[in-house]
Amino acid sequence: MTSEPRRVEPAAERLPGDPDLAAVRAAQADRAEFARLYRRYLDRVYTYAFYQLGDHHDAEDATERTFLAALAALPGFRDEGSTFRAWLFRIAHNTVANAHRTRARRRWQPFPDGFERPAPDADPAGLVARADEVREVLRALETLPEDRRQVVLLRFSDGLSSAEIGEVLGRSPGAVRVLLHRALRELATRLDR
Amino acid sequence: MTTRSTPERLDEAVDSLLAGERPLIEPQLRPLLEAAATLSRALRPVPAGARFEAQLAERLAAGRVRRATEGIAAFTRRELTRPGRLLAAGAFSSVAVGATVTAYAVWRSSRRHPHRALGR
Repeated sequence: MTSEPRRVEPAAERLPGDPDLAAVRAAQADRAEFARLYRRYLDRVYTYAFYQLGDHHDAEDATERTFLAALAALPGFRDEGSTFRAWLFRIAHNTVANAHRTRARRRWQPFPDGFERPAPDADPAGLVARADEVREVLRALETLPEDRRQVVLLRFSDGLSSAEIGEVLGRSPGAVRVLLHRALRELATRLDR
Repeated sequence: MTTRSTPERLDEAVDSLLAGERPLIEPQLRPLLEAAATLSRALRPVPAGARFEAQLAERLAAGRVRRATEGIAAFTRRELTRPGRLLAAGAFSSVAVGATVTAYAVWRSSRRHPHRALGR
């Protein structure tokens, strides 16, 4: 079992310049510099793992595996049209897929109430309203086919572009846009109040 | 002039939405963009715990040290499986050190007694 990112066909359209390239080069020369990339992406990888696995403990485990695998594979990272961010999320995606397989769990777990860590000074009424909206969105997401759900989570929880999601999932950017369009059409119907 | 497809126009509008702008879009795509706005609000980042962050940072640093140690150990193991190479390297080093020391001694000696070096 490996979390090494698999090679995908190069996307038809090149991703825009990689903003992390300087930090990646520094980390390839001196591994201590990886700390900068770690701090930059920890919460985003954690968020992705959490929304995928629905459990803080499992999300921590997947996040840890992702960063250890990324550190080990970093010397092999090449700037060939992909970005570090897409490369890292491909590792996270494979790690989460492995977690689903090895633990033989449901692909989508119901989220516990109050899964977020609210701010100490948060308004209770606002928290309840937000929790309701989150629950409704997560319930709607449960009904989506796996590939559409993946696209929605990567697009909205992690802010990846369609081209980057294509790199993560091994699809063309055009195919990702079509999946996003279909997912939003379905969700618009379900979330219509 | 190329006409962009509906998924492309929607994708561009989502880009603007995620960048905090208010995208202009045709009426039939508006409900989809409203769903996108709801998703963007609901699927907010979930920060990792501070203790977990510190522990993983430590493990990553330990991983760096372990890898360096493993590299030295692997080199040593590899070299020990070839005793001939070790002997040759040892002999070559001895000759190199001997030649360097002799050359230095000759040079020092010529500087202390320049007349001898000139053959007087």
